[in-house]
Amino acid sequence: MSLLRRLVTWCIAAGALACAPAVFAADDLVLKGDAACTACHDDADGPELLAIGKTRHGTQADARTPSCTSCHGASKDHLGYKGSGKRPHPDVTFGAKSAASTDARNGACQDCHARDSKRNHWDGSTHQARDVTCAACHKVHAAKDPVRNKLTQSEVCFACHKEQRNLVNKPSHHPVLEGKVACSDCHNPHGSTGPSLMKRNSVVETCYTCHMEKRGPVVHSHQPVTEDCSICHNPHGTTTESLLKSRPPFLCNSCHTPHGPIQPAVTTGTAPANAVSGWWNPTVITQGKSCVSCHSQIHGSNNPTSAGQRFFR
Amino acid sequence: MKTREKLFGFQQKLLVLAMLAAFGPAHADEGLDKLIKPDTASVSAGVAVEMGSQKDRSIMGQYNGWSDTSSALLLDFDYVQRNEDTGTWTTAEGRNLGLDNRELRFSRDTQGHWKFYGEINEQVRHDPHTLNSGMTGVGSATPAVNTLAVVGAGAENSFNIKRRSYTLGGDFRVNSGLTLEGNLKSESKSGAVRSGIGNYCGPVIAGYRCATNAGALLALALPVNSTTLQVEAKANWTGSDYGVTVGYYSSSFTNDLGSVRLGSINGNLVDLAGAAVVPGSGTNTLGDLLLQPVALAPDNQAHQFYVSGNYDFNSILHFTGLYSKTHATQNESFAAQGLTVGAGLPASLNAAVDTTVAQAGFTARPLPKMNVLGNVRYEDVSDATPKALYGVTYINPNNSSQKINSKAEVSYNFPDRIRGTLGIDYNWVKRNVPAVGSTDLVIPTGSLTSIREHTNEVTVRAELRLPLTEELNGSLAYLQSYRNGSHWINLGNTSAAYPQTYQPVRWADAYSVTGIFPSNMVDRRRDKVRGAVDWAASDKLSLQMALEQGFDDFSAPTTTGLHGGSMNSVAVDATYALNDTWKATGYVNYGEQIVNQNHSSGYIARIANTTSTAGVGVTGKFSSKLEVGADLSMMGDVTHYGLESGNSSAAGKLPDVSYHVLALKLFGKYALDSQSDIRFEVISQNLGWDEWTWASAGVPFAYSDNATVSMQPNQSVTYVGVKYVYKIK
Repeated sequence: MSLLRRLVTWCIAAGALACAPAVFAADDLVLKGDAACTACHDDADGPELLAIGKTRHGTQADARTPSCTSCHGASKDHLGYKGSGKRPHPDVTFGAKSAASTDARNGACQDCHARDSKRNHWDGSTHQARDVTCAACHKVHAAKDPVRNKLTQSEVCFACHKEQRNLVNKPSHHPVLEGKVACSDCHNPHGSTGPSLMKRNSVVETCYTCHMEKRGPVVHSHQPVTEDCSICHNPHGTTTESLLKSRPPFLCNSCHTPHGPIQPAVTTGTAPANAVSGWWNPTVITQGKSCVSCHSQIHGSNNPTSAGQRFFR
Repeated sequence: MKTREKLFGFQQKLLVLAMLAAFGPAHADEGLDKLIKPDTASVSAGVAVEMGSQKDRSIMGQYNGWSDTSSALLLDFDYVQRNEDTGTWTTAEGRNLGLDNRELRFSRDTQGHWKFYGEINEQVRHDPHTLNSGMTGVGSATPAVNTLAVVGAGAENSFNIKRRSYTLGGDFRVNSGLTLEGNLKSESKSGAVRSGIGNYCGPVIAGYRCATNAGALLALALPVNSTTLQVEAKANWTGSDYGVTVGYYSSSFTNDLGSVRLGSINGNLVDLAGAAVVPGSGTNTLGDLLLQPVALAPDNQAHQFYVSGNYDFNSILHFTGLYSKTHATQNESFAAQGLTVGAGLPASLNAAVDTTVAQAGFTARPLPKMNVLGNVRYEDVSDATPKALYGVTYINPNNSSQKINSKAEVSYNFPDRIRGTLGIDYNWVKRNVPAVGSTDLVIPTGSLTSIREHTNEVTVRAELRLPLTEELNGSLAYLQSYRNGSHWINLGNTSAAYPQTYQPVRWADAYSVTGIFPSNMVDRRRDKVRGAVDWAASDKLSLQMALEQGFDDFSAPTTTGLHGGSMNSVAVDATYALNDTWKATGYVNYGEQIVNQNHSSGYIARIANTTSTAGVGVTGKFSSKLEVGADLSMMGDVTHYGLESGNSSAAGKLPDVSYHVLALKLFGKYALDSQSDIRFEVISQNLGWDEWTWASAGVPFAYSDNATVSMQPNQSVTYVGVKYVYKIK
């Protein structure tokens, strides 16, 4: 072999070494062992499926990364089909018309995620008991899973929770549609020990994570405040200021006897005919802050004097 | 030519072919890399304007950063990079950097090994109302009242609460069975909230003395300047059949301000009956009462330890459990808060509350087609706060309580994929109430008619899920619940003489009782039915419909209070694929809630709220470069206050409160080239919030210093935003 030919050979070989392959086998496309699947589901046929490679599930350097069959099953009938009719589905599919049982679909996810600290109360939780599948909320093949983004998460939840879709559009609301508060800031949809899938152990403990000034304890406490914020508030949205379920005095009068024989009314610019020069008149008990105009420290007061006794100070 | 043939002989060709066979696909497919590799970096910059005055933006702009500005820079960035060899992710994100609700986020992790992240988050809540007042120092610790000569003649004041939080966190996988996690979040809050202060006094009113009967209400802004700190650390042990988490969570609230008080009252006030009144100064005057300090939230702390986990006994029996213990304290010095401490009282409340939560649950499959689950949660709140006479005769109450929440459920899979479920829930609450015959005044006289020590509620549920056809699935559920509890204790001692004695309320005396009993404790029967249908009508069209109806019936040994209520709602959602690139969606919702309340002051309220919402949307592509979309949505909400007066001198009915929104949103994206695109968004929103809280029929509600609160009831705003997005890679 001439010197020049040796040089050319050497260059080709050097080029081969420089282009040393990554972790894939020669015919895998995205995930380890996906060659049988991506022989058909390749970039020409199903490019959107390949986006799983962009996700945590497609990180090859992590030895725990699954393959297609980890979730979809061995699917020998699907892979080995030679007929001319409709090819059988994989063992486990996750679409709306999937014939696979909920257990089979969720089992694929649970095999890895059952022990995560945020999901260790899945069994027996409301969503699990109602046969909600992981795939009902999560798009595993999507580069960006909408439910894991604050801006788009609520739309996923509203697919089932229509009442909350209405409520967050009301004028007094948490900034859910503005993308500052997500449903998962208060709820753990994977299961929890709190009521209504509250993220922490109780309603009050969850609310205190952002509204800790209400925790107290204080000298003069208002019992429903320490028991459950949702006795007075609807956190999803209302047409009353401060997310109250209804306007004072009606809200307050669902537990407390009114001050006197005064029927709520609105001001007409003159003193009401039945005004009582005292604690109350029809306008004062209805408009403005109503009961909370005087009982302003309604969440409780640490004022040690008698002025704090009825939440005046 | 001859040289080339010699250079590229058979051996060289073979080598090249072998190289291409081995490395060709991985090397040649940059197009494939774009499909499977997450590496992106993009920056978007643009401008947006909102047409409409600040008052037009006050409701829409509560949280989105647009309340105080009509134009803004739109600036976002996004960076994701994954090292394929090590599995190390680096991400950074910035959103709304030109607005006051900006966010910055950074994280770096080697997947399966360690992670750390940081976040800065800002949020401003703009109160849509403004206060017109002569008050000076609004939002300070000592504002001064200056009565306006006429309503509306004062300065306009806006109220905002700004939050800024810093979060740091991370986790570390020690080995396949142990992971450590930790995070810390510090959030500061500053600004002011609208509140009020009011009082009435008279020559014979104990504790509120003044020469002649007089009362006044004033607007008062409560200043906010506080910090919360939350720290959580966890250790997670996992095995093939178990997962256990041991954690510690601490939270603290620190308030830079202890109290707020009016610095002075200048000018006469207008009392609750409309007459002019001199507030006066010195002991036993209305002015003196109004100048008493208002306590702001005191510093408080809590520490929680917990153990949580699950265990698989076998493939068909699983267990979950949690045990947590929280110690919460509050020992802020009254004097440090600027509050007066009476003789003989402690320097601080020295509050201590211990909360224990224990939960155990199981799921099992005793038969191949049967699933069973059970769960019990017990919560014990133990209030160890020392008691003292904080009012003339008032002792701070013991807020201890216990709760049990439990459920049991069995489901069976019948043939044809029909699934039936029966469930029973039991909930029990025990509150600390004064013992019968005791004389401790822990609830101010006249503030509450009656209370009961415990309530329990049993709910029975039946559900059926049935696939009607391959495309049509339905479900039906019915639940019935009963709530009752222990005997009621009469707190309605109207005598001013002390001590008072708590006595049980007899149902036999119910006809003579006119006080209202707490709604969360009265006996209640609830019936509710729910149905849903999911129909894949064709490959292009899918429909969902949900119906719900419920009735509540309340009873207590009194002639007043809640008497009943009902709700119903219906929702229809549709999705239609017009073709491969165009999709349309639509929805319609209607809901109604009615509450009937009988008041001891002689009127019955039938409060009915109806909400209607609807929306249609379409998205699609005109070409490979141009994507567009449009959404049209509306909401109409009306609350009707049906008051039937038993009082012949009633002033009149209450008007309805209504809220309506009509919003049109257009958006589009045009790809200039493979690396950049232009995005636009146009939103036109008309809304109206017609309610009488602060004004009715043009007549404002005025405070005693002629201050008024207002909000523009009808608001119309148009937003136009354009931004350029450049993908660096």
